Amino acid sequence: MVSLVIRKSLQFIVSLVVLLCISALPALIVQLRPNFSNYTEALKQQVLFLTGIEPILYYNVTAQQLRPLLPDLQPFIQETLIIFSSALVCSFIAALVYAFFFYRARQRTRSLLKQTTRVLEMVPDLFWVIFSQYIIIVLFKTTGFDQIEVAGGFADSIRFLPILTLSLTTLFFFIKWLTGQIQEEESASYIELARAKGTNANHLFWSHLIPNLFYRFYLFFRANVITILSSLVVIEYTFNVQGLFRFVLSNPDLPVLLVTLLLIYLPFFLIDLIVELCIPNAWKGGVS
Amino acid sequence: MKRVLLRDPFFWGCILIFATLLLLSVGHTLFRDGQVDQISNRYAADGTFLATSPLEPSSEQWFGTDRSGNDLFQIMIAGAKWTIGICFTVAFGRILLALLIGVPLAFRGKTLNTVIRTVLDGFLILPISLLAYFILVTGLFFASPEDIPSLSSRVLFETGLLILLGLPALLMYLVSETRHLLTQEFMIVARTLGGSSAYQFRTHIWPHLLPTLAIVFMQQFVQTLMVLIHLSLFGLFFGGTLARFANDVSPTMFEWSSQFGFYYFQFTAVSWINHLFLIPAISLAALVFFGNLLTSRLERAYRLRREQLLFTEPVAQAEAAATQLTGPFDSVLRHTPKEKL
Repeated sequence: MVSLVIRKSLQFIVSLVVLLCISALPALIVQLRPNFSNYTEALKQQVLFLTGIEPILYYNVTAQQLRPLLPDLQPFIQETLIIFSSALVCSFIAALVYAFFFYRARQRTRSLLKQTTRVLEMVPDLFWVIFSQYIIIVLFKTTGFDQIEVAGGFADSIRFLPILTLSLTTLFFFIKWLTGQIQEEESASYIELARAKGTNANHLFWSHLIPNLFYRFYLFFRANVITILSSLVVIEYTFNVQGLFRFVLSNPDLPVLLVTLLLIYLPFFLIDLIVELCIPNAWKGGVS
Repeated sequence: MKRVLLRDPFFWGCILIFATLLLLSVGHTLFRDGQVDQISNRYAADGTFLATSPLEPSSEQWFGTDRSGNDLFQIMIAGAKWTIGICFTVAFGRILLALLIGVPLAFRGKTLNTVIRTVLDGFLILPISLLAYFILVTGLFFASPEDIPSLSSRVLFETGLLILLGLPALLMYLVSETRHLLTQEFMIVARTLGGSSAYQFRTHIWPHLLPTLAIVFMQQFVQTLMVLIHLSLFGLFFGGTLARFANDVSPTMFEWSSQFGFYYFQFTAVSWINHLFLIPAISLAALVFFGNLLTSRLERAYRLRREQLLFTEPVAQAEAAATQLTGPFDSVLRHTPKEKL
């Protein structure tokens, strides 16, 4: 336990320093040339911001004045969080259901499913966005149905299409990994044993296969979360969602970058810690 | 893997498409000096005025023209070498650097690797497109054409930056892949027999790493293309953006993703679905699609080869050897007549 605390705090401190260095990177380049004195200046400034010695301000275009960043950022964070988490939940559930059907399907259905998802996963996120907007507009033109927003504004939030498109991109991402793992795991000896003992196929899937994949799935998700986030950036931008990334893009300042980096890093650090502590050792492939 | 790929029509189809695009584009630069025709108005045979730019696609201008009268087909041909070339260079540069740094690192001890992993982890939380935007936004926005520095410096700068920003993720992947190989049995044997690190890498690791690198190369290719598209959507075109007024931005070169972003910005002025928007969008989607298709064919060939290596041969050999106890260490396949197999 003590070693875990030391390890995690060391990791946290190192990451904090690295994030600080990254957040000052834009100051390194001046007129297409590296300028190190400028970089160290910016780094010092970022340290002052982080320690709270200087207040973090940003220029609010609407109010035409400098305003403190953190209270103003809260609605943007909330919007991004809602879209990100609901898309994750949707795609995770959909991927699980798909994986179950895939597991129970016969060989021919399986290859059909595999072919279809393989083609669909090649479609880049941006084209889901444009395609969905196009479909909604065509729907409106032909039937007059206007309940689905195609772009957000300052006052009204847009949720449905961003969540749908983000879920779609993540879904195919998850499906690819899950089906591959299921196929590999099927020949594992514990599955063979369970099957030989006459375990019901549904029970086999939900109680043996999925718990064994769970931790590995989390690791896969953590390693690739940057891909999902980059989809989210584009989705927020194209749908004009009043979210964190849209805000960052319209205010490309160093303190904003620092705050964003910390806002993304801290939750994942905490989740990592919780997962490491809470997931039973047997699920991680160890002996309980 | 090579044998599977050589017989794969999809693989050859993709290669053919990429090669044709590149050849046409380079040919356009060599024989037409990279010039793009400008047609501002279209007239009938008797001289009556028909339409002004942007012209719709027709038999003369296959993809139509844009608002300044540039032939869109020629723009796309001229731009292909940039788009494919940049993605190719960035993917290649990243892999080369990752190999040069990562492989010596993988041979070092566990502590050093854990430290490096913790340091690099910080780079893996912010999307590359966002970080690249932050770094490039000060350097590559120009208020007037006189401010623009030379083409080579801009291209070198942006390509170098894209290579460096993607490097940490690839480095971590390559180090873990090499370290995984180093724990295999055959590597333990090679080390015990006294092979030097360089020899171990050349003889044992490289043949295993090469197929993975081919797949990684195509993944990086597509990833770079997506970053370019994202950046140009944010208004930052490859090679710099000429921003005369707040909303009047234009790219400085004919490159696919820049054209896409450029026409995307003109949504407010023209109807939404028109050829100006659709042609770059569809071309880019096709390029990404073919890139992904190539990746998936490479993955398939890799999987088939691995399955062949893992299951069929050793299992068959071991089972047959067990039944033929007179000479258990002889190669079985050579001795068993074909009819009996």
